[in-house]
Amino acid sequence: MAAVIRRTLRLPPSPIEHSAEARSFAFLAFAVATAAIVIYGQDYVVPLLALPIAALGHVVSHRERNSKRGLWRQVLLVTLVVAALFYLLADSALALFGGVLPQANFAILLVAITSFDLKTRRNCYSSIWISLAILYLAAVFAWDYMFGAFMAVWLSCLFAFWTGSHLRRIGSAFTTPVRPWLLSLGSSLLLGVFGFVVLPQPAGSPVSPLVVSLPNFTRFQGDIESPALPLVQLAGDPTGATSSIDLHFRGRLGDAPVMYVRTGAPAYWRGLVFDTYGDGAWTASIHGYRELSPYVPARLMPPQPEDNLGTFVQTFRILRPMPGVINAAYPMESLYAPVSGLREDAYGTFHTPQQLRPGQTYSVVSYLPNLNAKVLRQDDVMERLPDHLGTYVDARPLSPRAAQLAEDVAGSATTYYDKVMAVTTYLQRTYRYDLDLPPVPAGRDAVDWFLFDVKTGYCEQFATAAALMLRSLGVPARLATGYSIGDYDPVLNQAVVREHDAHAWVEVWFPHHGWVPVDPTPGVSPLAATRFPSHWAGGGIARLIPHLAIGAPVAALGSLGVLGVVPVALAVGLMVVLAYAWLRRRRFGVRRRVSPGEIDLLRLYERLQRRLGRRRAPPETPLEYETRMGPGQLLDDVTSAVNEGAYAGRWPDPARVRELARGIPAISRRRL
Amino acid sequence: MRPTWRVAGAAALWLVLEWYGATSEISWLFLLGVWIAAVVLIAAMYASWNRGLVLHLELESSGPGAQSPVHELPEHVLRTGPFPAPIFEGDSFQVSVGLDTRGGDRGPAWVAGDVSGLQIRFGTGIVPRTGWRRSRTIDALRRAPISASEWTIHTSDPLGFFHGVRRCDDAELGIVLPKFCSLAGRRQARELEAAASAPRAGVGVELFGVREYRAGDALRRIHWRSSARLGELVVREYEPPGVQSLAILVDPSPRSQAVADQVARIAASEAWDCIREGGRVSIWGPGLQATEPRQARDLWALLDWLARYPGPAGDDPAPVTSDVVMVTGSPDASLVEEAESSRRRGARARAWLIGDAELDVDLPVERAGVEWPL
Repeated sequence: MAAVIRRTLRLPPSPIEHSAEARSFAFLAFAVATAAIVIYGQDYVVPLLALPIAALGHVVSHRERNSKRGLWRQVLLVTLVVAALFYLLADSALALFGGVLPQANFAILLVAITSFDLKTRRNCYSSIWISLAILYLAAVFAWDYMFGAFMAVWLSCLFAFWTGSHLRRIGSAFTTPVRPWLLSLGSSLLLGVFGFVVLPQPAGSPVSPLVVSLPNFTRFQGDIESPALPLVQLAGDPTGATSSIDLHFRGRLGDAPVMYVRTGAPAYWRGLVFDTYGDGAWTASIHGYRELSPYVPARLMPPQPEDNLGTFVQTFRILRPMPGVINAAYPMESLYAPVSGLREDAYGTFHTPQQLRPGQTYSVVSYLPNLNAKVLRQDDVMERLPDHLGTYVDARPLSPRAAQLAEDVAGSATTYYDKVMAVTTYLQRTYRYDLDLPPVPAGRDAVDWFLFDVKTGYCEQFATAAALMLRSLGVPARLATGYSIGDYDPVLNQAVVREHDAHAWVEVWFPHHGWVPVDPTPGVSPLAATRFPSHWAGGGIARLIPHLAIGAPVAALGSLGVLGVVPVALAVGLMVVLAYAWLRRRRFGVRRRVSPGEIDLLRLYERLQRRLGRRRAPPETPLEYETRMGPGQLLDDVTSAVNEGAYAGRWPDPARVRELARGIPAISRRRL
Repeated sequence: MRPTWRVAGAAALWLVLEWYGATSEISWLFLLGVWIAAVVLIAAMYASWNRGLVLHLELESSGPGAQSPVHELPEHVLRTGPFPAPIFEGDSFQVSVGLDTRGGDRGPAWVAGDVSGLQIRFGTGIVPRTGWRRSRTIDALRRAPISASEWTIHTSDPLGFFHGVRRCDDAELGIVLPKFCSLAGRRQARELEAAASAPRAGVGVELFGVREYRAGDALRRIHWRSSARLGELVVREYEPPGVQSLAILVDPSPRSQAVADQVARIAASEAWDCIREGGRVSIWGPGLQATEPRQARDLWALLDWLARYPGPAGDDPAPVTSDVVMVTGSPDASLVEEAESSRRRGARARAWLIGDAELDVDLPVERAGVEWPL
């Protein structure tokens, strides 16, 4: 039975790949993927070392493709593969070689080593699929449209590999009708881009976070420091970490990117949360934590929201040193970070043992709660505030004047949601956002100074005022910090988060929805709920068009994806015009039509020359040839017909040529 | 046109890319997935365009073997032989295989088929408008028609995703003729034959041929049609009476292929000896179709008949001639009866007996094995 199963499962033998061209393109596909890793992964040593080795390996494999595999070579290759595996473990676990993309480097080394043993077509396919995996890793790090060129070149290599392999299989050299072949390749690329733009992209539930980097074993040392994101720059702390948000200070934030986020939905990337406000500063009152492994599965996370729209995965790539805080969309479903362990604080935020280094990558799967005005308005029945929420309704730091303002703003609002929206929209409409804020005068309450004096502020002022005003209305609220969405590109599902995207907002407790993000800062939606974007590249591209000052109505249309039809319509129109021109050229053609008799007669003339034992020399006219070959009725007839066709344009019909051809057997070959 | 397994592979790759794209939010995977799907679609379009090819299959040339009669045949005889050259047992020949296109350049395409039991397969990436040709040398075939059977034209897209097959009609490319040589030195009746008149042009009843007009020729002998065609005067020549006419009676059911081959070779040798002396030859076997009277002087037609020997069945009567040669490997009663009856009518009759069989006949008999040369 076992033997039968083994026989059934055994793959049929793969033929030896004899096509040098196919092997060349398999190598080129690897080179393209490696170049993408070099450029987008900023990983240099292993790729640049592996490329010439792989090239040499391909040459050796092609030359020795018909030879039997030598035992010692096999042993050597296996040893090298094991060594590459050791490198992977050592680099990913201990960062012995810098810990830069160890799995990509392993794949590159694997291709380089096995390139010395690419005998069969299946071997070549293995090399190509590993190069596809390398390209995939590069795609995780690719943040611009230029990466599309790498993809196109890689696909062209695959196209050419298939061609070379197939032509060799049928016993042909690497020749095809050039124009149709190039037209096929070009059409495939254009059609693919067209399909990418017009076809909706399915969104599936992520199975797990993406494991892009493997963990290293740097341990936690001491308690959680609660390092804040660099909203506030405190002198004396080289990491920029702080355990508080002080409204009296504001760091200068530049335009430099701090991280790339590959995400299925634009969201606020939440980091630290603060629950206690006093003397113009927010602090966290609970310092407990629990330790978790680098991969936190769903069973260790809080239960999923009752009403959610699904999950989406985010992959973060750190670009500059950051505090060891996992910024991500909340609530999380699962998390993977390349560290030895994680700590989750009392507010649900995850911490890493050390600072996040440039190049480090972590991945999170988050729920997308169904948050909208209708459902939140119904979610306000809370007979008694849970004990653990007591801190979040502490409005004692708020002055009576500010509390009165909150009462006035809330007015007749009765539900949680209406109160929250009343306060946030009031702040958004009444106060001005400005980063150039003078320091809070000594002895002044920062919130009062913001609400009643300068009436200008940045996100911390807005969020603090909103949180305290909501607390005074009995709505549990706290301050959340992190980063706003950043520059989000719905076509590529990615966001570039910069220093100036550091942000603070409010989280409000709803009995059946938990902590709901609310943003009182002007210029954004008050309900900072994550929404799935249109997974349709056409809509994403259309998003770019309205910014060309077409106007708000067109922008609104563009956001709906209607303008996405424009490039498509242009492409279709162009194709129609080109097709019409081609058909017209073909039908009425400038190209001279060749009569069947011409082809047949010229073939007969060739055949006759072969038969007579001497081919007509290029400078020799047909008449000269006939004279030199001596008299002969058939040669005379054929020469006359050729001359009449070539110089008078009167080619004989095929029947006449067949009649002439019947005279051929009467002609002897000279050599016989 | 049907998809190949590569399409399944490409579809699997596309599904993997879509699945990874849908679960990893990496849009590039969608782009690559759509590209793979587009490649399959374009490949299907290419494959449906890559059609309209016509098989070209012909004998290109031959290379005479060591025992080939070609070495002995005079130029004027070879000139009238099959195109491009006669092929005898043991000769090699080249088959030209190719494809022609009715439109512009096409490809890739490949052809596969069978020439006299030998599998041939050639492929090309491009079939130019002027046609594509490949040659294959085939060595030492046995006496038989050179048949081209089960030929198919295969077309595909350059990536091998879709495959179209078209079956071609079976055809006969040529024929491998039996070897022969002059047996004049072996025959006991050589002296008798030497008495027979050599062919002479003269005044007779059977047309001998044509030649250029010479002064003194009778005007009524001018062949006006040939003269008009050739542009010079040509006159008819007639053969004189008394030219040898030979009937070769062959075994209708040889015991083995080797015996049949030897029967054909000896019959061909007898025919050649007769024809080159200006005689006329008929070949007949009981129950077989006999050669036609108009083929009596045509060596190539007789060799063609012998190449197909024993050939199709028929009920032609035995020819009446002045000479009869029976070539057999077995004592076929009707064959022996016909030979003896010819002798009784006054014809000079003799026999070749191949192998170990016993032949009870009142004729001079010469024995031969199955080896060649005798």
